[in-house]
This record gives sequence, structure tokens and C-alpha cells, in this order.
Amino acid sequence: MSKAADEKKMKAVLIWMGILVFVLAFGAGAVSKVVIQPGWTKKYNVPWSDELGTRMVDLPYGDGAANKFDLYLPADTGKRNYGLVVYLHAGGFTAGDKSGDVEMLSWLCKKGYVAAGINYTLFAELEGGATNGASVLTQSEEIRDAIPKVIEAAEKEGYPIDSMAIAGGSAGHTLAMIYAYRDAGQSPVPVKMTFGAVEPSCFHREDWDNYGFDRETEESYQGAAGIFSAMLGEMLSVEEIKDGSYLEKMTPISAAEWITPDAPPTVVAYGTYDRVQPFKVSLRLKAALEANGVDHRYLELPHSGHGLQNDHALYKQWMEAVEEYLDRYMPAK
Amino acid sequence: MTLTQKRLVILLIIAIVAFVLGRLVVRAAINLLIGGTLFGGNFL
Repeated sequence: MSKAADEKKMKAVLIWMGILVFVLAFGAGAVSKVVIQPGWTKKYNVPWSDELGTRMVDLPYGDGAANKFDLYLPADTGKRNYGLVVYLHAGGFTAGDKSGDVEMLSWLCKKGYVAAGINYTLFAELEGGATNGASVLTQSEEIRDAIPKVIEAAEKEGYPIDSMAIAGGSAGHTLAMIYAYRDAGQSPVPVKMTFGAVEPSCFHREDWDNYGFDRETEESYQGAAGIFSAMLGEMLSVEEIKDGSYLEKMTPISAAEWITPDAPPTVVAYGTYDRVQPFKVSLRLKAALEANGVDHRYLELPHSGHGLQNDHALYKQWMEAVEEYLDRYMPAK
Repeated sequence: MTLTQKRLVILLIIAIVAFVLGRLVVRAAINLLIGGTLFGGNFL
């Protein structure tokens, strides 16, 4: 073989090697972005272990197939009373499961709290366009009815509950806030605080600009009527959307509208570029907390969306604020 | 620097650029789905 042919062959090998290295490194980079998290997150993402205590799963609180909760009981059984922290799963009211929050619930249990993850009946469309009847309203009522059962179950296991916090992610925090602001008066124990993130807390259509509901068009009115009706579980007309009278009907599921000076302390975080939960809604919540003098920590993550994914330093501050408020308002004694 | 060393350096540069691109592509995809800026915040 000639020297020229050898050089050509070597060049081809090098080019292919370069392509292979590029592909492998590109894949490694993509995987690393998903898998590798900042070191500090380990503190809050605790895998469950029997050393943390006892975990009881799928305890029933109602007749529905989804009416189940998991209870995380801390290893320290010597306390006179315990604080309960309920964490409600995310999933846009249509998906998700309490099993997705094992690490958060384990962290709370490790801190000495009785922790509970509660499932609720998810909204589903059936054949022919009918729905299963679930809505944010029915979900909030399920959570309200579940809390006494959770407390009862904990006490039955020897963990008397004297206070509680309620939290969640996205849809889960909508339900948590509704309980904290609307239903706390019916709670068997005082609700000391709520924490969570990226939840819709009210339904002024001008805030829902990422869905186009702020526009004065028929399509916009119909879109708002469709989504808000599904969330409420009651038909809203285009006329009600147009004249604003729908807002009063939405009140039962508008957590922000229930804020009073007696509302529990609140820690929340939002992404400025959120495309799922309209960011402007969070500004209205912030204004309500400020107007009522409720102790709160509101964090805006200016480069992130619904996943709060691009502002690690601020995300850390949010989790530290959660811990600070828990220690202040419901210390694990 | 020998020819082999030069080739290794080139491969190393390709690997670093590809690794960063891989992370940026995932970041861009997540931003597209749920919102966010490409170069703001924690860059990678």
C-alpha cells in the first residue's frame, strides 16, 4: 500500500474517532445534566430507610380508590407530642402520586416530624367527553376530609399530633394552600405554616397571559371558560368570563382570596418564566400576603420556569427558608 | 508537541465542547417545555 493511501486511512480513522468522542461526550453531558444535582440537594432528598422510623403505606381515608395516604413515623418515639407535615404531590391535578415525594417526606421524618403524603382523586376524561367528576374543588374537599384521619392514624400508632404544616408542589401546593387558608379553621390541630412552589392560587384571567386568557377575544373567553370550569367542576359561561362574575364562583378554589391576617406563615417560590402556572398569579398572592401582614417568604427565581431549574442558589435559599420557618413555627422539639 | 499529542489535545477539546453542548441541549429542551432562560441563572 502506498504512503498516500496510509495517510488517507489514518485521516479517516482520526475523523471517525473525533465523531465517536463527540457523540459519547455529548451523551455524557446530556445525562449529567439530568442526573447530577448540586451537592446541597442531598440534604433535602433523603432516601427512605428503616433507620428513619416506620413507614405505613396506602392507609385509607375514604371510599374512593385514590383516597389513601402514606404515614412516615419518626424513629424517636419518646416525645409527648409531634408536629405533622403533610406534603401533597404535584401533577397538574390530573397525574402524580404520593410515592413521588418519598425523599421529601423522608427528610421531614428525619427532622422528627410525622410526615404524610396524601393521594387525591385525579381529574380524568372518560369516553364520550365526560369526566370522572373530579375537580380542584373535590380534591380540596378530599384533603380537608383526610387530615383528621391522618392525625387519628398517627395517634393510633402512638404519635399524638399537636400542630401541623401543609405543603406541596405545583397542583399539590394549590390544594395545600386552600387547606391552609380556607379550611384551617376546621383542622383538628392548629395549622402553623404552609410551604410549596409554583401553584396557581387564583384565577383572574388577565394574569393567565401564558394561556392567552388576557386577550379580549372569543377564543380567549372560551379557553378560560373551559379550563376554569374543569378546575372548579362547574360550568362557567363565556358571559361570566367576560363580565368577571366567574371570579366569585371560583372563590372556593382560589387560595389567595382566602388570605386574612390570621393566615398561617407561608414560604413560596416561583419561576419568572413559568409556562404552566402563570407567574403573574404569584404576584397577586404576594400582594395579598403583604396586605394582610402574613409572615411570608416569597422567592422569585428570575431565570427559571415551572421546574425552578435554572437558579440553584435561590432554590437553596427557598429550602433553607422552609427549614427556618419549620424550626420557628413548628420546631420538632 | 508531537503529532500524537496534538491529536489528543484536539480530541480533548472536542470532548469538552460536546459535553457542554449536551448539557445545553437538555437545558434548552427543559426550558422549552416549562420555561426558563438559556444563558441566565446557573449557566450549565
